[in-house]
Amino acid sequence: MSIFHSFPNLPGPEETAFCKLNEVYCCGNARYGNISTFSNATKKHPIINVTRDLHHHRTSDENISMYIDVEDNLLKKITSVWYKQGFLEALSVAADPSVNRESPTLAVTASYILKVANILTAFRYFLQPHLKDIGPKIVANYSRTRNWGQVPVKCLAWHPHTTKIAVATVDDNVRVYCSEVTFVSTLKCKAQGHVSSLNWRPLSASELAVGCEQGVIVWTVDPNLMFTKPSSSNAVLLKKNGHSPVTDVSWSPNGDLLISCSGADTSMLVWDTAMETAIPLRRVAGGGNVFARWSFDASKIFTATSSIIFRIWDTKTWTPERWCARGHRVVAACWGPDNILLFAAKGEPMVYALTTTSLLSGSQTTKATPALDVTKVELSSGEPVGGPILDMCWDPTGRYMAMLFEESHLVAVFCTTYIMMQLKIDPCCFVTGVEDEIPCTMAFQQNFNDGACLTIAWSSGRVQHFPIIYSESY
Amino acid sequence: MDVTCDIFSKRLIISVLWNIGLQAVIAVMLVGFIQIDILHPVSWISSSINDVFGWKMSINIVLLGLVSFFQAYIYGCYYVKPLPKYFTRFSMFLSLFCTQNIIFSILYALSGYFTMSLYSSLAKSNFNTLKKICENYDGQCLLEQSLFLQMGGMWMGLYYFLNAHIFSPTTLTFPHIYQDKFQQIKLAIHSILSCGFKNSIIPVVYYCIFYYFWGHKPRNVVSDVYGLYLEDKPLDNILNLFGSGIWIGLWFYTSLFLISVYAMRTVFNIVLTEPMKFPIESSKKLTLHKAIAQKSQFNGYLGTQDLKIMSLTDTVRRKEIFTLSQPGGHPRNWNNLLQECLKIVNDFSKELDSINGDMKPVEIEMLPKRPGSSITPKSTLYTGNLRNMAYSPQLHELKEHNKNKSEDTLLSAIKEEFNILVQRIRQKPGISYLFGELTDTRLKFLLMQAQPVMWTCEGLAFIAAASLKEDKYGVVQTDLPIVISTLINLKQNLDKLTKPGLVPRKHILNDSFALKMKSALLSSVKLSIYKIVITFSKYIHEIPLDPDVQIAIQPFLICKEA
Repeated sequence: MSIFHSFPNLPGPEETAFCKLNEVYCCGNARYGNISTFSNATKKHPIINVTRDLHHHRTSDENISMYIDVEDNLLKKITSVWYKQGFLEALSVAADPSVNRESPTLAVTASYILKVANILTAFRYFLQPHLKDIGPKIVANYSRTRNWGQVPVKCLAWHPHTTKIAVATVDDNVRVYCSEVTFVSTLKCKAQGHVSSLNWRPLSASELAVGCEQGVIVWTVDPNLMFTKPSSSNAVLLKKNGHSPVTDVSWSPNGDLLISCSGADTSMLVWDTAMETAIPLRRVAGGGNVFARWSFDASKIFTATSSIIFRIWDTKTWTPERWCARGHRVVAACWGPDNILLFAAKGEPMVYALTTTSLLSGSQTTKATPALDVTKVELSSGEPVGGPILDMCWDPTGRYMAMLFEESHLVAVFCTTYIMMQLKIDPCCFVTGVEDEIPCTMAFQQNFNDGACLTIAWSSGRVQHFPIIYSESY
Repeated sequence: MDVTCDIFSKRLIISVLWNIGLQAVIAVMLVGFIQIDILHPVSWISSSINDVFGWKMSINIVLLGLVSFFQAYIYGCYYVKPLPKYFTRFSMFLSLFCTQNIIFSILYALSGYFTMSLYSSLAKSNFNTLKKICENYDGQCLLEQSLFLQMGGMWMGLYYFLNAHIFSPTTLTFPHIYQDKFQQIKLAIHSILSCGFKNSIIPVVYYCIFYYFWGHKPRNVVSDVYGLYLEDKPLDNILNLFGSGIWIGLWFYTSLFLISVYAMRTVFNIVLTEPMKFPIESSKKLTLHKAIAQKSQFNGYLGTQDLKIMSLTDTVRRKEIFTLSQPGGHPRNWNNLLQECLKIVNDFSKELDSINGDMKPVEIEMLPKRPGSSITPKSTLYTGNLRNMAYSPQLHELKEHNKNKSEDTLLSAIKEEFNILVQRIRQKPGISYLFGELTDTRLKFLLMQAQPVMWTCEGLAFIAAASLKEDKYGVVQTDLPIVISTLINLKQNLDKLTKPGLVPRKHILNDSFALKMKSALLSSVKLSIYKIVITFSKYIHEIPLDPDVQIAIQPFLICKEA
């Protein structure tokens, strides 16, 4: 008997789930229904729908083939390719006999240089195989967002202290929606390409770290200013050689340090953002660091590498404890209260819990135990659910956990309780999309007082707030 | 030596020992590298080992030790003293020629000479002696290449000294996280090597140019003194210089010299900036509040850094702060600590205030009086009411001082005339260039010492936040208002610096380091206020706060303060 069979039934064909009110699963008509008939808790929340805004395309690698070639002379062609795509691409253009018909000597020289360069890069990849993929491919490969390159919402992040959400859209702009004001600030600058992650600085109202291909951009958006497009003078680009593309940024809960990870770099950087200095934390085994997660009390950091190795860093001494996952790299991890960590490996329908127990002798033991089996099953309505895990989120109080699956279009929400060193995971409810919507990414609101509020970005560009409300008296 | 310098000198000695170890490793690697012989690995290894354990090597190690003692002494002299104040070009210029700098430059030239000749002797080159037996004449001839190299060594020592100590300020920068020492050295090695080889190109070029113009003078002097003949072609000819290939040697040895100096510097930085745990109460050791009291000194830095680390991670010592003293029941630990912390923050905001005060006349004109404003006209300073919260005695002095000024006596009149005359002379173009106060120097000077202030603010805020759960007796809660108002006061003084239009040209910063410092300070003060306000947000109305402070924390409560 799978845990999914004890979930409440899915809403009917024309219906969708709106919220959960004190154990009552509230569904309504997908087209005419409105969440305000059930609850006012999200009345002031910003309404986000990304498709309504027109995206203007940037010349990314996917759509560069759309543009029609113009006949330029050879030198101009080579220089423009050099400027846009780099030296090696320019060499290959010069060496290509179909393009370069004018000077065969140049073509021959270029082809020889290219051969040498290829040998060198092959040798480099032999030494460091994780560098093989280029920027956006690495991000897409390690991203916890489904189809990161194509979906309208690349990632989202709630502010830790106030009702404010940042959404990175497919055109690599970051929109900041706020509950009190109606306008939307769009953060955009030239260096901001291939946004992989967002994170608001705790203990600050205005600072947002954006992980993108070149490095980390820290925006300072004054909440009192009414600019819809803050100038790029409010942004600071933090970058370092070899640390690209950035696949994850995360602030310490104390608000003083920022960690950036790159899937192609074996060291993760700890930034002092005001002084713009970084200290690398480097451990070679395991390859690039994919993402990092701070525990609530900032005493520990979980980092996942691109291989089976993951590490738990202690922030007093800055030394790691090395762990190995079974089979695959860790795709998702989240900390809960009392320093419990839940994590899941790629391609495996199993959630593990990592708990630290202090013994009477003062020493601590840490062990990983399987906590939840989410093997793929078919519900009575015929909908498949479960299977390999794509992403997990735990709400800040540690009572609800949401999960995305690689092969299912449902969002599963679980109740979690941690009493007497025992973690108990119970079914709560499913969240379904309207029509053929697929969930892309999600996040729990950080300052929701009535329970938990899960925000889900659907493939249609709709962003749904799904509140789970409970009152203590109930 | 008293307790205060003890920590510093102990650490210097440790760093010298580390340094000698590291230098020995570099030397051994050099020996192995130079004798590399892939075809005969056994003989390569055996001859390297022979050299490593030979007498030459041990003498080298001793000499390297001496050199690193030199360096430690120099670093010590720079770091222990507070930063010198130079506000005019003239005083800056004079300070270049103080005896300390002259002695140091000689020491550096010597150490450059030593290191260079050490490495060249390790590399078994024949450029260690100035003389050789002539081929054509009967007698001894000058080996100009070795003269070139040895003078080059001195040149590099001087060059490094000028670059590292005179033209850039020597301040100790504490890293924001502290890793294991080995790990740090491992991380630094790559950049040390690449910087060493890269940065050595420019001084070599300078030296070659220098030698081209003035090389014949030392050559003549040396050959006259030792009575040597000149046999080879002179090196102050471009073709000869390039043909002899000695410049490659010079570049290689310079790189080695720079690598060894950078390695020393890195080791000193790593050892000196290691965080230290001070006890909260102790009769023998230096306690935390006493360490903090020695502000702007090395111990002050360590103390405030420890305050921050303790407030974030160390529950045991925090508990000690929240306890009451055993006979008496006074929160002595907390009171001592709070007093020193507030002193640091208040002193800093006072300095800022005085810098802001320079533009007071402008400000009064620009600020329209608010109708029904609660600020009474008698408060001369902008933040009058807030200053009173800090019980600043200086304020009263300042007021009285203003009153005394109005007394009209002959003496004061003459003084005034004289001052006007001095001012007028100062305004003359050439003189104002030399003696006029440089723009932004005072603010820059102040901001350079802002690091302990940041740590103190954050430390105070996090202790206060931790007190909500850990403080059984409510020790900290009684002092919350004064902590909040002190932080708000500092924040307002900092805000005045950034307000456009109010800052006179004198205080516009154009130094990127100082600018970063300013933003770092501002963000850490805001972080501290946020930490307290968010932690106590439910109880904030129960804290007895001054109305002005209450208004000032409103934007923090609703998360609207940028």
